[in-house]
Formats: sequence, C-alpha cells, structure tokens
Amino acid sequence: MASTETNASCYLIRPNYQHKFKSSLVKECIREILREHLTGLQYEPEQIPALSRTLADCIKDRLKGVELERYKLVVQVVIGEQRGEGLKMAARCFWDSDTDSYARTFHECVYDFISF
Amino acid sequence: MEEYQTGDEVAFVVDEVNSIIKESVEGAIGGSTYQHSRVNQWTNSIVEQCLGQLSKLDKPFKYIVTCIIMQKNGAGLQTASSCFWDNATDGNLTNSVADVMKTYNFALFSCLKM
Repeated sequence: MASTETNASCYLIRPNYQHKFKSSLVKECIREILREHLTGLQYEPEQIPALSRTLADCIKDRLKGVELERYKLVVQVVIGEQRGEGLKMAARCFWDSDTDSYARTFHECVYDFISF
Repeated sequence: MEEYQTGDEVAFVVDEVNSIIKESVEGAIGGSTYQHSRVNQWTNSIVEQCLGQLSKLDKPFKYIVTCIIMQKNGAGLQTASSCFWDNATDGNLTNSVADVMKTYNFALFSCLKM
C-alpha cells in the first residue's frame, strides 16, 4: 500500500478557521508600526519617499511573522501633506471573499496623513 | 494529460491593462474640473469600471485596484507598496495622470489564483 504521508498543504485549498486572515490583528500590527516610526515626525519632501518604502517593507516583514500561511500580501502606503487639498481614495478587489480580506488604517498628524 | 492552461493565457499583459485603465478614467471623468462633491462618485466609478473590464478578460487572476484623486494645490503625495507573492506569476501596474486641477494615481495588483 502506498504511503499516504504527503504534505498536507497540497490538499488544502482553503485555510482552516484558525488560519484565516484576521483584519483586527493585522490592523493592530500596523498601528504599532505607525506609532514606532511616526511619532513627532514632520513632512519633509526629501525624506518621505524613503519613509514610505521603509514603512511598506516594515509592515510586510512584520506580517510575514504573523501566522498567515500561504497568503500572498500586498501592502500599500500613501503619505500626503495636509494643505487643505481635497483627496479621495477608492479601492476594489476581485478575489475570494471567503478567504481573502484587508486591513486599513489611517494616521493623521498636523502636517500629513498616512493611509495603509 | 493536457495542460489545463498554456503560458500565454496566464500572462499578465501590461498594455491591455493600461488601455483598460485609460478608458475607465476617460469614461468616468473626461475633462472635468475638480469638484469635491463628485469625487466620491468618480473614484468609485473608475475603480468599478476597471475591475469589471479586468474580470471580463477571463484570466485566472485575483485583482486589487486602487485609485487616488487629489486636488492640485502644491501639497506633496507619496505612495509606496510592498508585496509578498510569486514574482513569476504575479505583477503590479501603477499609473499617474495629471491635469491642471487634479492628479490621479492608480495601482493595480494581480495575483494568480491558486
């Protein structure tokens, strides 16, 4: 009789309930990173490109540590300067709503706003 | 046993997607000036139209489309993204269009369905 010991992930096409993407957990993770990096920071045009890249990479790396097995991750960071301009951001996703989800945070300082 | 999908059907064609985005923007907004009361409607219709066209391509991809419309008044805006996926099959496309009164930023991420 052939051995039935194979990698379990080959047969799992959906995550178990415990391994699903948890928005609230991820949101907390992101908030923590924001607090670490952004307290007391002001908008400086030279530093913002590097800051946004660092934040995106930081969040992605932190999420890789959380137990999100077999999930692909997309992290988007938007940093803008507050000068009274109008701004609207919209997003739509074409995915499997049973397994896939998102977490969103908005951080506002006196001089800038940051959206994840 | 035959392959379920050939390589061509599964590829992410950048030009095709770019033209879909351009058509969605022009269709939704055309050359209108920035109107705060209508921006909500604009962003929603652009993104929905884009996604509708992309799903009609009938490719085995999941899509995430984001759109930012910002009024031009000298303020700076920076977007960055970081992705944890399979570089061989997944891809992203970003586009930025500016006119006199407003700037549009698009980001489209696509992941192969497993």
